Amino acid sequence: MMTPKLSLDPITLEVVRNSLIAMVNEMQENLVRTAYSPLAAEVKDFSVSLVDAEGNAIAQARNGLPIFVADLGTTVRAGLAAFADEGFQPGDVIMANDAKTNGQHLNNIAIYTPLFVDGELFAFPAIRSHWIDVGGNVPGSISLTREVFAEGIQFPSLKVYRAGVPDQGILRLIRANTRFPELNMGDMRAQISACRLGERRLAELVSRYGKAVITACVQRIWDDAEALSRDAVAAIPDGEYSAECFLDDDGIDIGRAIPLKVKVIVAGSEMTMDYSEMPPQTVGPYNSRGGGGAETVSRVAFKYLTCPLAPISEGAFRNLSYTVPEGTIISADETAGIGRWSTTIVSTIDLIIKALHPAIPERVKAGDLDNIGSGNFSGQDPRHDRRFLTFMPVLGGWGAKHDRDGLSAVVSLVQGDVHYLPAEVQEHLYPLRVREIALRADSGGPGRQRGGLGTRVVHEALADCEYRAYYDRTLDPPWGLAGGRPGKVTRTTVWAGEEKELPAKCQGYGLAAGHIVTLRSGAGGGYGPPWERDIAAVRDDVLDGYVSSQAAGADYGVVFEAGSLEVDLQATEALRARMKSSGA
Amino acid sequence: MVNRPFLLGVDIGGTFVDLVRFDLDSGAIAVSKAPSTPDDLTAGIRACLDKSETRLAEVDTLFHGSTMVINTIVERSGARTGLVTTRGFRDVLEIGRGNRPINYDLFYEKPDLLVPRHLRFEVDERLDNTGRELIPVDLAALDAVVAAAGTHGLEAIAICFLHAYANPAHEEEVRAYLQAALPDLFICASNEVVREWREFERSSTTVLNAYVGPRVERYVRRLEEMNAGLGFAGRFYLMQSSGGVMTPARAKRLPVAMVESGPVSGMIGAAHVCQKFAYPLLIGFDMGGTTAKTALIEDGLPSVSPVYYVGGYAHGYPLLSPTVEVVEVGTGGGSMAWIDPTGALKVGPRSAGSEPGPVCVGNGGTEPTVTDANALLGRINTARYLGGEISLDLEGARAAIQSKVAEPFGLDLHQAAAGILTIADSNMSLAVRGITLEKGLDPRDAAMIAFGGGGPLHAMRVARDIGIPKVIVPTYPACFSALGMLLADLRHDLVRTFVRPFPLPDHDQLTALLDQLRAEGRDLLAAAGVAAGDITCAAALDLRYRGQHWTLTTPVADGPLTEENAGAVRAHFNRLYEARYGHSFSHLETEVVNLRVVALGRRRKPAFPALSRRRGGLTPDATRKVYFDGCGFIETPIYLREKLRAGDRIAGPAIVEEADSTTLLFAGDAAEVDEIGFITVHIDGDAK
Repeated sequence: MMTPKLSLDPITLEVVRNSLIAMVNEMQENLVRTAYSPLAAEVKDFSVSLVDAEGNAIAQARNGLPIFVADLGTTVRAGLAAFADEGFQPGDVIMANDAKTNGQHLNNIAIYTPLFVDGELFAFPAIRSHWIDVGGNVPGSISLTREVFAEGIQFPSLKVYRAGVPDQGILRLIRANTRFPELNMGDMRAQISACRLGERRLAELVSRYGKAVITACVQRIWDDAEALSRDAVAAIPDGEYSAECFLDDDGIDIGRAIPLKVKVIVAGSEMTMDYSEMPPQTVGPYNSRGGGGAETVSRVAFKYLTCPLAPISEGAFRNLSYTVPEGTIISADETAGIGRWSTTIVSTIDLIIKALHPAIPERVKAGDLDNIGSGNFSGQDPRHDRRFLTFMPVLGGWGAKHDRDGLSAVVSLVQGDVHYLPAEVQEHLYPLRVREIALRADSGGPGRQRGGLGTRVVHEALADCEYRAYYDRTLDPPWGLAGGRPGKVTRTTVWAGEEKELPAKCQGYGLAAGHIVTLRSGAGGGYGPPWERDIAAVRDDVLDGYVSSQAAGADYGVVFEAGSLEVDLQATEALRARMKSSGA
Repeated sequence: MVNRPFLLGVDIGGTFVDLVRFDLDSGAIAVSKAPSTPDDLTAGIRACLDKSETRLAEVDTLFHGSTMVINTIVERSGARTGLVTTRGFRDVLEIGRGNRPINYDLFYEKPDLLVPRHLRFEVDERLDNTGRELIPVDLAALDAVVAAAGTHGLEAIAICFLHAYANPAHEEEVRAYLQAALPDLFICASNEVVREWREFERSSTTVLNAYVGPRVERYVRRLEEMNAGLGFAGRFYLMQSSGGVMTPARAKRLPVAMVESGPVSGMIGAAHVCQKFAYPLLIGFDMGGTTAKTALIEDGLPSVSPVYYVGGYAHGYPLLSPTVEVVEVGTGGGSMAWIDPTGALKVGPRSAGSEPGPVCVGNGGTEPTVTDANALLGRINTARYLGGEISLDLEGARAAIQSKVAEPFGLDLHQAAAGILTIADSNMSLAVRGITLEKGLDPRDAAMIAFGGGGPLHAMRVARDIGIPKVIVPTYPACFSALGMLLADLRHDLVRTFVRPFPLPDHDQLTALLDQLRAEGRDLLAAAGVAAGDITCAAALDLRYRGQHWTLTTPVADGPLTEENAGAVRAHFNRLYEARYGHSFSHLETEVVNLRVVALGRRRKPAFPALSRRRGGLTPDATRKVYFDGCGFIETPIYLREKLRAGDRIAGPAIVEEADSTTLLFAGDAAEVDEIGFITVHIDGDAK
């Protein structure tokens, strides 16, 4: 335990600390309940933050997407530069999604409002939220483009409101550039309203304690967060750790693998991510840059590895640095396609976690479904003649850990409290019939600890519509660790009179009513040699159908008496001994 | 004297059985306590009855709450349960919604499965989202379920089919078939538990009901036998999480409704006070030994949430069962002050509990607690703690706060003690503010009712902190929670998912469905012996703007929905939305998602006895030095609660002491005692 620091009254500090966290959580609650797009309400595809006048994160709400950790600073700093001459006034609302600064798909719209104390700019409540459509060449805006310009409209730090007065021209511009103007305007209003709430709460806090005290508390909160982060990194053995994997392709140059390679340098209490061996930017939309690129990868991975449960603030990242040359897939130029940025981000984060396996084996996990990809249906709903577009996160398996099996059927590393839409709700909202939502047997990577299972989700189209999907990691499967085997990869088939394999990445695939799409999602890698798995655990897996009896023999070396679940111990031991000696 | 003069409440918790008895003739209240007896829960009840010299034959109405349901779930000690689902959906229970509620935690685990995969069975059958049959039920497939029930020793079966909220026919066919084949099993179908969409949440609810069903059924039967054996001839009710009570017959079918009966009963008492004094908005504030609980009461009804997570949101099971929204913070008398790894001073949620308890209790506690800070600052009477059962060890408290808080931070001893209380009060303030603001309500429009041992001691600070102008301290604040049970009405919550644009071209179907729900509620209450004149049915629609996912429950008037009053409902929704979120959209389309009816069987409530008025002036019974922030120790008048009379007025700073509780008034607070002895404190009332 550290000696407490004496500079600030510990009681005020504690009250202010708790109040700041309560404030951003309250903003989040407000956003979730007023947002239009299901992405905010069900998928929590947003981040809610309070940043200081220089763009440093003071506090962040707990349930936003993990991909958005302390990510609004770069955006706000760009706004400060853009309005350096004009400045800000109370009542202003600034909006930004431009690739140059934000570096992530254009659907992610940042909105922030300045808060003034005694006439001086003090802080910004800020919210990034995924809008369902910002133009571009397909509904939802995300497709296999070659340039960002095909992905929708960019708002490079615009004032939507000046001193409380909306700029009608900009509002018309927004409405004119989306397929779902009502949803977007609703989401924008929800973001503004939550920022306004943040302004009020912070103003109350400042009026109670004074600006100097609040500022001192914030400094202290950062210092505390830094101390925790440093302790966490210091506990990792010094060294250079690297790992590599590859993405299938960029969706344009089909079949051309994209090798990812990271190096992590731990020295004392400092961690550095070295991306100098990341691949050049791709033609297809798998790029990112700026705040959305190398910085996001570094911060999210660092958070997973250091103080996962501590509140988020700028101070927690002071001992993190990264180096990245210009022009890589996570530091692309500002014209590069970025629609599918998150696929690369999530793979790279998983890779950093893998890299650290030799250093901290008990704190990492094997590879995941590794996919924020999704398969979606769009078209016209004949029941009320409206356009529809589904958004369904993929639930897949997570990698096993040194002491336990991987989680089955959960969202990816960069998604957190994201909810899959119930079948009953889907059938109400969309002209689809959900025929199955099930665990995918035999998908988890075999290991002493088994990888989590993927899912099998079957949809029947009830009207003619289009299907598109952006899956990856179908060629380099989710890895095992310490002798564990990889998990199964994602596969999609369509039944239209006969069963047919769909490519992992496809867009505009036409479906007629009665066609059936089956998604088998990726599963987690195993941990440790499979023949070391507890025999009773294998038997239970077979009883529950997570593992077939054939796979129990082939993968785990567990043999049953004919027609029963009685384990043939003698045959099992013999088979396991052979597996062990052959290493397979 | 009436034949059976007593109302009796018995609450079984993890460690103690608490009994409260109200004498309808005299208004006298008696309480007793005995250790819980997990092997035979009735033994603890009988011990309590003996201790308080209560004869069940003299009891008019017996109310019972128990932690049995929640313990059965938390300890995973429920029945061996099977689940029957629509083909293709047996894994919904295991997959859930696929979310990971804790960001960045690589080691997050989903809650344990209550029904393993090999006990989940699929049946061919299918309805669409309007309830229309697509595939009839394949009853022949159920023979495999019947066989497996024998093989695996199943004690309970839950049935949950897709879209059964819209049409229960398939579930009922299967239930009838299985019940006939397996007459001894507890079998329940989702439609009798909750007719609301979202298959995972509904499956989870149905499974929980089945999982606790056999045990609760046996338990309730055992209670009935005990009652009969002791000559009880009155009415017997069980507490529900919704704040209402139900009959034993209903409890046996819907045991999950009892999951949170304990913490809500105080809020029922608060709701009763809210009605009695006609407060539009009241905040219940209940501070005990390890936590503080707070709930919102609007127009006399506690705010009730349609979904509750048993075991918490991140690691728990969703339950679609109406539950009083009680927000709990880990701040109570036993909450410890401690220093975290960054050197920050924290208060709670670590707690010294009742064992060893605060340092000053002298039971071996070494860590400074909220109670130690209160004792050191003179805020509680060290000689009269817990009604004089123990006297407090002030030296121990002083040493603990000095060494563990004051010295590490370089603070003066009393500053340190006051600081502990400031942090505790601030944590509670944020919780109280959270529940009002979340609903778009302004705490300045609310009154607060403070109870629990610590409530009246901390309430004025919390109220002042967030601008609540008025705090009520009821009589017997420490047993107000138990008393609340005696004030509960019979209650049944009915829901039906019915997703349509709203207003509709015609509302005949909607009206018919609402009438059906009202009739169901009336039938349930009539079966419980409630007279028609005591029944009220409040209907509401869950509305939202089209495209949104969250709904707001919007009341509808009695009688048929017409074009005209549907417009009024729509306008009311807009006002609710505006109040809650600060904006609304009169031009946007709305849709209805669920219909709700709350059927209440009103009971006659016992009256609190009137208090006489004083002749002459009120003088303090003593004075004591009490520490106040910014002033230091002030010689403060102490009043004994039992000597207060109707109409008495007290200006803060002052203290009112009674057994188990202390009311602390700050400078500026103005208190008055009403006709039944409740104290109303006007925060900063002096200045107004």
